[in-house]
Formats: sequence, C-alpha cells, structure tokens
Amino acid sequence: MSTKMDTIWSKLDRKSTAIAEFTMRQYRTRISTWVVLGAATVAIFLMLLFYIEAMNTEIEAIDNDGDGLINEDDIDWDNLQDGVNYVGEDDDGDCENLDTTSQRDGNNNKNECDVLIIVDTLNGTTYIYPDANVDEDPDEDKYGKEAGHRAFILGIGKFGIVYLLGIFLPLFLATGLIREEMSDGTIHYMLAKPIARGEVLLYRMLGYIGLTWPYILGLCGLMCLITGFTGPGDGIFRWSDIGVWMTIAWAAMLVSLVYGTIFCAFGIIWKNGVILAILFAAWELGMAFVAILSGGDSPIRYFSVIGWGMIIVDSGVAICWPDNWQLIQSGLWGGGQGTENFLGEPEYVPLPGAEPLDVFSGSPNLGTSSWLSLIISTLVLVFQGIMSWFVGQSIFKGKEVD
Amino acid sequence: MMPDMTQHGKAEVEEWKPVSNTPVILFDRVSKTYGRINALGGVSLGISGGVTGILGMNGAGKSTLFKLMMGKVKPSSGAIRLFGTDPWKNSAPYSRVGFVPEHEKLYDWMTAFDFITTFARLHGMTREEASKEATRVLSFVSLDDVMHKKIGQFSKGMRQRVKIAHALVNDPELIILDEPLQGCDPLARTTIMNVIKQLGAMGRTVLVSSHILHEIERITEQIVILHRGRVLALGNSHAIREMLDQHPHKIVIDCENPRELSKDFVDLDEVTGISFSNPNKLLIETKHLGEIHKKLPEIIVQSNQLVTGIDNPDDDLQSILMYLTGGSL
Repeated sequence: MSTKMDTIWSKLDRKSTAIAEFTMRQYRTRISTWVVLGAATVAIFLMLLFYIEAMNTEIEAIDNDGDGLINEDDIDWDNLQDGVNYVGEDDDGDCENLDTTSQRDGNNNKNECDVLIIVDTLNGTTYIYPDANVDEDPDEDKYGKEAGHRAFILGIGKFGIVYLLGIFLPLFLATGLIREEMSDGTIHYMLAKPIARGEVLLYRMLGYIGLTWPYILGLCGLMCLITGFTGPGDGIFRWSDIGVWMTIAWAAMLVSLVYGTIFCAFGIIWKNGVILAILFAAWELGMAFVAILSGGDSPIRYFSVIGWGMIIVDSGVAICWPDNWQLIQSGLWGGGQGTENFLGEPEYVPLPGAEPLDVFSGSPNLGTSSWLSLIISTLVLVFQGIMSWFVGQSIFKGKEVD
Repeated sequence: MMPDMTQHGKAEVEEWKPVSNTPVILFDRVSKTYGRINALGGVSLGISGGVTGILGMNGAGKSTLFKLMMGKVKPSSGAIRLFGTDPWKNSAPYSRVGFVPEHEKLYDWMTAFDFITTFARLHGMTREEASKEATRVLSFVSLDDVMHKKIGQFSKGMRQRVKIAHALVNDPELIILDEPLQGCDPLARTTIMNVIKQLGAMGRTVLVSSHILHEIERITEQIVILHRGRVLALGNSHAIREMLDQHPHKIVIDCENPRELSKDFVDLDEVTGISFSNPNKLLIETKHLGEIHKKLPEIIVQSNQLVTGIDNPDDDLQSILMYLTGGSL
C-alpha cells in the first residue's frame, strides 16, 4: 500500500506536494482553523434547523375561490415546454358551468376552460393567461413546501455558502498564508531554497484549497442529504437537488479560491492586508445583493467575483429545476385571486413561499444555454484566479523580506 | 512583438549551472538604504572557500549583507553575484547554498525530522531521499537522539542546531550562518563551533557573523570587519589579533592594596601606564595584553594579596573598532 502511494506521490511535483502538505499540516495545528470551520458549520446547521421546522409545519389551506371547499382546483401544469402551452384543469367544474363561450374562453385561445402559458426559458419569464375559474384554488401546503424548500436551498446556497463561506474562509485562512510567515521570519526557511516565490505562493494556495475544498464539498454533501430526505416530493429522496447542490459547492470552491488568492496577495502587499480584504469583501457583499436581488439583470455584477459565482448556481438551477420559473410565476399568480391597483392592473395574492423563491432565483442571463453559462462562468472565475495569482506573485517577487 | 521563429518557446528551461572562474560570493560596490538609513555603503567583497567571520556590532550591516546574498532584499546600487548569478532575480543558486537566518522563530509544532524532510523536499528530493538526508544532517549536528521530538520542546542551542541542520541538506557548497552562537549555552556553543570548523575542513565556503571577536577567532582564519555599513578591515585573524595587541589595553585588578601591587608592574616593559581609579582598583595599561596575562598569575601569587577580580573593561571588538576608526565610534 505504502509503496503504491509513494509512486503516486513521486509522480507529482515534489516541491508542490511538500509545500501543500506542509501548509495543510500547519492549518491542522492552528486552533483558529478549527474555530473558523466549526463556527461556519454551526451557523449553517442552525439555519438548517429552521428549515426542518418549516418543512414539518403544515401551511394552512385557504379557500381561495370562496366556495366553501379548499384546495379543490389545484394548479396542474407539470412538464411545460418552451413556448406556448395549453394547460390547466377545471377540477371543480365552475368554469364549465359558466353561461357563454366568451365567459369560458376569457383568454381567447379558442380552448374553453384552460390556462394559456407562454414560457420563455432563456429570459426566465413565464406569461400566464387563464380562463375564468380555472386553477383558482391551489394547494397552499403542497406549493409552499416545494417553493420554501427551493428558496431555502438557494438562499443558504447563494448567500450562506457561496458568499459568506466563500469570503470568510479565505479571510481567515488565506490572508496570512504568506504574511504570517513574513512577520514570524519563518518565510526565510522557504525562500532560502531553490524555489521561485511565485511557486511558493501557488503551492501555499494548493494547501489552502486542500483544506477548504473538501470542507465545502463535505458541507454541501451533508446539506444535500439532509434536505433531500426532509424536503417535499413523491420519492424518498429529491434526486434533482443533487445537481443544484453540486453547482453551489462548485461556485463556493471557485469563489473561495479567487478570494483566497486576492487576500493572500493583499497580505503580501501590506502587513494589515486584512483591512484591504475586508474592504474588498464589502464591495463583494454589495455585488452579491445586486446579483441576487436583480435576479440576474444587472450587468455590474460582471465586475465582481461573486456575480460569476451566482451565475454558476443560476445555471445549475436552470438545468436541474427547469420548471423553477413556472413555479415562481404560478405562485405569484396564486390562482388569480387578488385586487386591482389604481391603474387597473391586477395585484394577485401570492402563494406562500413564492416571493422568497422569486428573490433567491436568478437567471444566468448570458444569452446562451444553461450549460454554456455554467462553463463560461467557471472559465471566468478560473481566469480571475489565475490573474490574481499572477499579480500576487509579481508583488511577492518585488517584495523585500526582512 | 516578434514571433518566436525558433518555436522553442519559454518552456524549455535549461538546468542552472554555476558560472565557473568566479568567486562564490561577489559584491561589487553594493549599497543598501532603507529609507534614509544607510545600511550598507559601497561594499566590495569576493569570498571563496574557507571559513570567514563577519564581525561587527549590532546594526553594522551583517544581516543586511546576508539578506542581499540570499536575494531577500534588493541592492540599492551595485551588483551581487552568487555563483555568478544575481540572487535577487534567480533562486537557482540557492540549491548550493545553506542559509541559517538570525530569526529565532521555528515551526514548534513539527518534529526536527519533519522540519528537515519538508524543506529538503524543496530541493526536489523524494520522500525517501529527504528522510535519508534529514537523518544524516541531524546526526551531523548531534541531534539524532531527539530528532523525533517536537521543536517546541527544544532548548535554544538545540533549535540553533536544527536551523543549521536544515541549511545543510543537499550538501551545500556555501553555508551562511547569521549569529549562530547567539544565546547558546556553552555546550551548544562548542558543538556549533565544531560543526563550523568541520564544514570548513570539508572544503565548504562558510560565512559566520558575530559581534564577539573571541568567538569568531576560535573558528575562522579570515575576518571581515563591518562597521556602519562599510568594510573596515579584511584579513587573517592572527593579523587582527596582532593589531589588537599593539593597541593599548586596560586591565583592572580588584585588590586590597593597589599601590602595593602596582610596584610589581612598574618594572615590566609591557606596561605603559598605571593608575588608581578607586581605592581598591588597579588599572594597568598595556599594548601586549597576552604577555601581561601570562605573567599576571605569578605576580599576584608573589604579592600575597587577595585579588577579587581581573577584568578587561574594553570589549575586544569595541577596542579594535576604536583603533581602526581612529577613536570615533
């Protein structure tokens, strides 16, 4: 066994494994490492408790159409295609009982008692034109659980894991990678060896991702298992969530790598580099809000790291939950119940969970397919990482080490 | 930009080879300033082979000299060559250099063995080669019995030896030791001095810095005296010792009756002056410190006086610097 391991290791670059391994062992001996990882885990799992509580609480059903019966005319549009769809079923027959054809075909699509839906996958929008009294009394509990489940995954995934973990892990674990060695004077041992400074930076980063990437993967894997079994659905496990969790983990891994390299470079520039890192984190926080709240409409997010991380998650959602936009739109429509505002436009009463899901969902909006968006955003983040390393190593090269 | 017609690209890196027919270390009018502080001013040096002591007071520029050699800092002007290569631009010559920094901080959580193997691997060694090398260098500095203990548990002298061992992996041709004896107990001092002498005997170029002359004297034949960033003197330790002996020295003897004792010294040729700084102290001035010290025991025994202390108030280095700078420190 050990000889086999040795052959694998010796095939890899000896210097890189030496420094990466050293870096990981160094992390292991520091209490701060365990505090950071422990605190992050506890925070995420606390959020998970709220989720589990919500999943086990029944949402009260409302008699949306006021006929004394509840949930008797549920929304029924699975498997929508891109483009024009005729769906909807008048479960309780109150549309069929209307007097005239014109009353039964309010949307003028020559089909009585249906819902006309136009789906625009590329832009993530769905238009709903219903006939009267069709799908008017949806099942709040069924809808709320599904939307709440997805909103939780996207909320905790995008904000908790991709942004907060993505920024805090490097803030505590990467900013000092070179700086601490410089202030301790121990950098002299490493720099007295025949190894370029750029290499030292690269292999230190390798050690950093050797710690953070398995952690992110493990955390997301665990979250996927727990929410997959607890979440709503017909099967025991929500298989379609796996892909979304994978893109969340992937986005967090790439984002933490880019931030890590930038913060490490900040540490090299200035002994209080953590201040620069916090300023940068504040900019990224703003960008995270822009990216999340605009739903993918704001081009300014391209000038950030987090914006591209969000595009990865949004692409994952578009691939794994293709019905996400319909779910949001139908929830916001809520069966057509509501009032009119002063302009005469309808204001529907959204179903529970529809608004949070709407907030946390976004469209990749790169004008191309979801898979291509995933690849493009990945490449952009990798490029940002390489550029940060390149700038970092040239700063390091010109830095006098006392 | 012109296309690369040869199509070799930059990827093809030739193995670094030292430039022959050049000193191991070459300083050509090197200056280094930190802001307005002049740490090193116009130093020219060429060193090859043997043990060389760099002597100077704190702040004389010894560490700056070493940092320049190791490419840690960039010279403000002048050129430095390490095996014929600029150390600031190229880390390749470090494969033939072992550097012991003055910093005391080490990785306390590692064992001495792990520390050495990890850094040996930065020379491109495999795990096996590195472990073999670590065992070799640790026994060279007589730490083989404690090599699997954590560095955090080591005494100062042991830590200093770990640092030296770390510098000796890959069998370097040049070994640079920045204040290796500082803070060591007498036993560690002897061990480290023996290691340095041995390295010199093995034909390595060794550079040792210190601010204590008699330490350096015990290990080296060549001395470079650095003062305020300049090379003040460069030469053989015997010549420097002679120079020091020519220079007036003071000996203070604590005794019951200095006037009585002084009579025995007046007749000696080596003594140039006698004075009484306080009722119980006799101050003797001499240019031949060694000679006086040889005769001192006999005189004291014959005088039948109780002598409580003999002291040379001049620090060796200080007096030599006074002499060389003409009295202005």
